[in-house]
Amino acid sequence: MTWLVWRQHRVQFTLGAALLAALAVLLVITGLQMASQYHSALVACAANHSCANLSSTLFLGNHAVGFLVILTLGAPALVGLFWGAPLVAAEAEAGTTQFAWMQSITRKHWLTVKVGWMLLAAAIWGGVISALVTWWSGPDNAMQLDAFKPGRFDIMGIVPVAYSLFAVALGIAAGALLRRTLPAMVVTLAGFIAVRAIVTLLLRPHYISAVTVFYKATSSFTPSGSFWQLASGVVGPHGELVTQNTNLPVIDGIPANYLPAACVPSQGRGGFRPPLSCTQALSHFREFVTYQPADRYWAFQGIESGIFLVLAAALIAVTVVVLLRRDA
Amino acid sequence: MIPMQEVPGRAPPGPNAIETSGLTKRYGKVSALADCTVSVPEGRICALIGPNGAGKTTLLRLLAGLARPTAGQVTVNGATPRQDPAFLADIGYLAQEIPLYRRMSAEDHIRAGAHLNPRWDAESVRERLTDLKIPLDRAVGKLSGGQRAQVALALILAKQPRLLLLDEPVAALDPLARRNFLGLLADAVAASGLTVVLSSHLVADLERVCDQLIMLASSRVQLCGDIEEILAEHQILVGPRKDTTAIERSHRVVQVTRTPRQTTLLVRLNGPVIDPAFEASDVSLEELVLGYMGQDAPAATVQLTTVGEEK
Repeated sequence: MTWLVWRQHRVQFTLGAALLAALAVLLVITGLQMASQYHSALVACAANHSCANLSSTLFLGNHAVGFLVILTLGAPALVGLFWGAPLVAAEAEAGTTQFAWMQSITRKHWLTVKVGWMLLAAAIWGGVISALVTWWSGPDNAMQLDAFKPGRFDIMGIVPVAYSLFAVALGIAAGALLRRTLPAMVVTLAGFIAVRAIVTLLLRPHYISAVTVFYKATSSFTPSGSFWQLASGVVGPHGELVTQNTNLPVIDGIPANYLPAACVPSQGRGGFRPPLSCTQALSHFREFVTYQPADRYWAFQGIESGIFLVLAAALIAVTVVVLLRRDA
Repeated sequence: MIPMQEVPGRAPPGPNAIETSGLTKRYGKVSALADCTVSVPEGRICALIGPNGAGKTTLLRLLAGLARPTAGQVTVNGATPRQDPAFLADIGYLAQEIPLYRRMSAEDHIRAGAHLNPRWDAESVRERLTDLKIPLDRAVGKLSGGQRAQVALALILAKQPRLLLLDEPVAALDPLARRNFLGLLADAVAASGLTVVLSSHLVADLERVCDQLIMLASSRVQLCGDIEEILAEHQILVGPRKDTTAIERSHRVVQVTRTPRQTTLLVRLNGPVIDPAFEASDVSLEELVLGYMGQDAPAATVQLTTVGEEK
């Protein structure tokens, strides 16, 4: 059966391997350049004590490769569409299930081998891309501290493997249910985007209760490392949320309409010193930031991967039930 | 259903490759096959005949285990069709659409078969296709329809099944290839005791090789049994145009054709015909098949009859 799987899908697998190889060459070359660029910039800024604003002055790599790296967000969907969806659907369409299922092997065996190899291929696909992107993004992550943010979190670490497995499982299940390749591809794409969006927007922020830190409006606070900021704002003397109004001047992060008039500097008066009443008024306001600390990164990677692996397993179970129960 | 060999203290009844009873398959409210009870003894070649949509393909798919019955029993090679390598190894089924992997060559299919079957006579396929001048290394999607059918038929024989189920296998073949293939089939049956069920509209071809008949019409079994016995049970009666109720009382009239001068009856006999007014003659398989199929669409006949009587 493995022989047949390879014979049937060798073009797909070869094409996938070629794409991975091309990506690897591109990312290794540009990644090495970026790493050396980053290290020499670090040495240079250490000499004149300007490393604090390195992230705003230094741009690593080039836009095209950076854009390509962001595009790897869609890599799992690709294998779902072109490996997963046709796996059962194309055979049902061409009637070749009637060839395969009338050899001396059970449908279960047929499905196990086909799905097994396809899942393995998907895991390799997601894993290789993620490994390349994670390594390539190393200097950028260190500089921008944004590895935990949506869009970056999704293309690094172990989640791309889980996404790829889910996408392929979704394609296989859609193909088994619909028995036609093109509709299965459409369903796979729509389903993948929908599930990813729902998990990212609605579930991910709550895997572990977020941390909220309050601090005086006159001071400042930034969580350490690559944290993920979920919300920030200002609360007034009675704990009410201060609504920001872009039309008004802001003093220490607080819109002027919340403060006594004396706090507002009038135009053209240089060296404005707010009176005591103003400082007192300000001290009743607190700023806050709600965030997921950087040290939860791998816990979040693990939880998100778990969710998609469970979904993938459920989809494979659906496929098995559909194919074993339904007439050929 | 209890497999035959498990019945204690009794020799297996006349070995049947196929036995069904009350076999029914419904798709929603539509019956594709209703209350089908047939049997085919081992080592026979059975013709499966019926008009389009009569349920031939459904019956073959139920026998192969590709479809599940809605009701009734089916026993094939002594077992209920199931997902089991040993059961599948003994069945060869070729669907009407001749399903092959279009981008794979005949040689690829031969190798796939070798990986997927416990018995596999790869050499016989290669020999046969080489004899037929069909390239082994060309993608089967690029072969002609007839060549594709030949590849599929050779592959199904290489599996060396005990029961071969063929759905319109010769439809794509030219007359010579058809004769050739049917000859091959008859040889295989003689050599290995293989049982074959093949559906076709080409009655003349079937008549040459088949010794058993299952006739379906409107999802129901019309006839099932040994062709010679069935033919012997039927006669065509030609007589003057007169009342036929006497004959209808003692025999089953399958089809009546009336013209102003004479009446032709296809009857299933129930004893000898003692009516000197009618001349009896033997019936050919073709006449029999047309008679039973005509029963299915009687509107035209009835109209003719009425017109004749009004004169």
